Amino acid sequence: MQSITITLDGREVSGYPGTTILELAKESGIDIPTLCHAPQLTSIGACRVCLVEDERNGALLASCVTPISSGMVINTRSPRVIERRKTIVKLMLASHPDSCLVCDKGNRCQLRQIASDLGIGLVELQRIPQTASIDEVNPFLERDLSKCILCAKCIRACQELVVEGAIDYFQRGFTTIPATLNNLPLENSECTFCGTCVALCPTGALTEKEKTYRGTTQTIVQTTCPFCGCGCSICLEAKDGQVTRVTPGKESSVNKGTLCVRGSYGCDFIHSPDRLLKPLVKSNGSFKELSWEEALELVITQFQRIKDESGSDSLAVLGSSKCTNEENYLLQRFARSVLGTNNIDNGGRLYNSASCVGLGSSLGFPGTTNYLSGLEQSELILVIGADPTSSAPAVGYVIKRAVKSQYAKLLLIDPRQTKLSMFAHLWLQPEVGTDVVLMNGLAKVIIDEDLIDEEFVARSTDNFEAFNEDLKKYTLEYVEEITGVAIQQIHTAAQLYASASRAAIVYGTGITQHMTGPDSVKALANLALLTGNIGHKRGGVYALQRENNGQGACDMGTLPMFLPGYQGIVDAQARRRFEESWGVSSPTSVGLTALEIIKQVKKGKIKGMYIVGENPALSFPNSRLIIESLASLDFLVVQDMFLTETAKLANVVLPAASFAEKDGTFTNFEGRVQKVQKAISPLGESLPDWEIILRLAEKIGAPMPYSSPQQVMGEIVDICQLATYSSYEGNGHAEPETQSLYQAESSSQLGVGRIHGGQFPTGFACFCPIAYVPPREAKKSYPFTLLTGSIPNHFGTGSRSSRSMRLKRFSPEAFVEICESDAKRLAITEGEKVKVISPIGEVTTIAKITDTLRQGTLFMPVSYPKTPVNELFDIDLNPETKAPSLKACNVKIEKL
Amino acid sequence: MNKAKTITKADLKRINTIITEYSQQKWPLIPLLQEIQNEFGYIPPQSIPLIARSLGIFPSQVQGVISFYTQLYTQPRGKKVVRVCRGTACHVRGGKTILKLVRQHLDIEEGETTPDLEYTLETVACIGVCALAPNIVVGDQVHGHMNPKKTEQLFKHQEVEK
Repeated sequence: MQSITITLDGREVSGYPGTTILELAKESGIDIPTLCHAPQLTSIGACRVCLVEDERNGALLASCVTPISSGMVINTRSPRVIERRKTIVKLMLASHPDSCLVCDKGNRCQLRQIASDLGIGLVELQRIPQTASIDEVNPFLERDLSKCILCAKCIRACQELVVEGAIDYFQRGFTTIPATLNNLPLENSECTFCGTCVALCPTGALTEKEKTYRGTTQTIVQTTCPFCGCGCSICLEAKDGQVTRVTPGKESSVNKGTLCVRGSYGCDFIHSPDRLLKPLVKSNGSFKELSWEEALELVITQFQRIKDESGSDSLAVLGSSKCTNEENYLLQRFARSVLGTNNIDNGGRLYNSASCVGLGSSLGFPGTTNYLSGLEQSELILVIGADPTSSAPAVGYVIKRAVKSQYAKLLLIDPRQTKLSMFAHLWLQPEVGTDVVLMNGLAKVIIDEDLIDEEFVARSTDNFEAFNEDLKKYTLEYVEEITGVAIQQIHTAAQLYASASRAAIVYGTGITQHMTGPDSVKALANLALLTGNIGHKRGGVYALQRENNGQGACDMGTLPMFLPGYQGIVDAQARRRFEESWGVSSPTSVGLTALEIIKQVKKGKIKGMYIVGENPALSFPNSRLIIESLASLDFLVVQDMFLTETAKLANVVLPAASFAEKDGTFTNFEGRVQKVQKAISPLGESLPDWEIILRLAEKIGAPMPYSSPQQVMGEIVDICQLATYSSYEGNGHAEPETQSLYQAESSSQLGVGRIHGGQFPTGFACFCPIAYVPPREAKKSYPFTLLTGSIPNHFGTGSRSSRSMRLKRFSPEAFVEICESDAKRLAITEGEKVKVISPIGEVTTIAKITDTLRQGTLFMPVSYPKTPVNELFDIDLNPETKAPSLKACNVKIEKL
Repeated sequence: MNKAKTITKADLKRINTIITEYSQQKWPLIPLLQEIQNEFGYIPPQSIPLIARSLGIFPSQVQGVISFYTQLYTQPRGKKVVRVCRGTACHVRGGKTILKLVRQHLDIEEGETTPDLEYTLETVACIGVCALAPNIVVGDQVHGHMNPKKTEQLFKHQEVEK
């Protein structure tokens, strides 16, 4: 591309065609003030503050919307420009209240900054009073439209970035305001309270609610969000040891300046009064505080005793998909080299082991195959068994953006109506648990209609013949009968997917938490392989992670059969490498998985457990049985921020610090290793998990040679043999793929995504023929299928989100959704108390009538500790993954 | 009696038909809104989500467009629109009093519609027949040289009906 040279404030500078004057000025270090421009939004030239003068003809141009053209002679500070700029800002001030002294925006107000930079004193124009603030009851944000300057940043953020479209301009002229449909309060609109608009608002028109005036932030630290697997970068603003505000991270390719309600407003759990500040020991049924010294002494004596009496394998460790990579690495090293057992697993077992096994066996690579940027450029996105708008909002935004602005097609497969249904070009509603048949049906159409990528199949895959043979029995009539999806729709779906030159698959817990999870994952991988949608820059298979470090915890070997980097326990060579590095021998037999551990606890084989940052009493199925088992342990140590349902069962509780109080890294669902940075000191006597593990190791007489998480990362890079970690250089939110993608582009080859060099780790990917295992026949007395899932305003088991004041206030109670006709038949009314009963257990909750469900299905959110949905599920393990089914079960519903 | 229109199922069906007709066109939003207004006299708010959905835009955006143009309404309008002129000439000839009287006769404020959906009251800046000031326009009919008596005659039947 030919570059264009212009004169900018007397200097010759050049840029590519299409660059605006403002962008070029910024690159050249020239500051042009602006109120309505943000790099991630479309420029609209609304505020006119960025005016510059073209000296050739005296034209005043809004620099944010004027592309450079050759020969321009731009002056950004000519007397005319300054004069006009002053007038424009004065006009804004004339209709702006004088409440700066008490405005929460304070020194962060860009209008005030620009006014003072321009030297505007008293405004001599006649004042026009503006409309007052709007009464809203939501606990998150406050709109004071008297301070609105109509820059439309909020409107563009809502429509372009998070694609909710809750607000737009309303009325015109002096009465214009940004408003919701029918000008209702935000809580009655589509608004999800993601807070993206609040972060962008240049004035005090949009501010965070529920704040006490805290004065000016002292430090701002960029770190990674601790909630879902997206791994959004966030900025923690702190003052006097308190996190005062959370804003979207400035430069991150994951969230691009957006966040969700959890990230923006959910982090106040850090300062919850429930935080544990001292170690606790249980004596006579109640907890007593004690010193760290005593607590550690107690823990190691008990572990030592159990180890001596019953052997190492009578101990078990549960690591956390919420803790950092470094902590998980240390924990598995502690389990293997200090306790001497491979009985170590992490909470990710519950939701991502199907991906590990499924993708592992077909692609040889246990995770998402491409980056989010690739998803946004896909031509077709197949979303199945996932509602990213609530479980992984940043991914939801990307999908909606792809549909809205990149004209991608969305093929949605979900029995339940979600927010994405509005964006779908085709929405299939198969019967619950029949995904395998549907996928096989799609594969058959793709093969029969010759839509396969023959070259890719021949060059990069294996086992096609057997797979093809196996598909023979999946006639469309059969598929229609099992799944309930019409033949015509199956056809259209297959054609949509196969004819797109770059098609992506996004799946979540609606696939992995079913009994047939790994099978469905393999079936999805088959589709991607048939059409060659793997290993390209766009397209790919995206396995959503529920937790912030689900990927990392597995990568770090917090697994019973793998050492860090998925190096098998049975691989003597790998084991030797670790033994040499750690200087001790490590156990040789494969350990137990999470649920197997519980079973062995029940049998009395496991006597002592060390649980770090997990809450199995709520997150595991059949909670009652789990609680019984854990309570029967000889010795249980729980390390957590709060006295969770699990911690209440412990003999010793060690107070852990929150993510804001420690350094380390999280690995998001794409495999991106991102920095976690300390913003405040640990509260009370709590300590970061890594430090607790190191102290324990030292106390037990097997000290580990680290003094910081950075050193641990050094060892991880050396020993794990994982490419994503090797490229991690500790520089925060670097995008590891950037380089390889650009290289690919310049050499006019297709990019490679995460599968390096376009090669599968094992050389070839493998088609897996999959037999359909029908879901267990429902008993007549349990006629409903209950689906569980996440909701936007809470997270995980709710141990953190239920301690976030604002999230809790906004959605305080669990509910069960039921469709109108079922409700009518059972005479259940909205808001009525009902009992949901399964053969295993029952919960009481509130009925909510919805039009998003079909007859015979119910939906309940999982994140309310007071309504433990998992109590309804049986411990029913998939033979391959040893993961329980936690997505759907048969229930009945009764009025109270 | 309040005859304020409620939108029936048949109306919604008709609206959907109009939407389908227009959604294939290029830049369909404004012609589509005009068509609905032609047919119903206003744009029923219930139709906003339907329009948004079929055109692939947000309901708030449709509302933004409707509220921007003074020719588009989301409230039912009277059969006859009464426009009282408040231009300079009419003003000096007592237009303000005429407006007050019309308000009294119709028992509504500026911008409002009578409950029986007969009249909607508006003011205009000038209708261009200043020689006849003060003027009012009822429907398509211009009434010049207005005075209290003529005003009463124009709206007498309305009051009797009340």
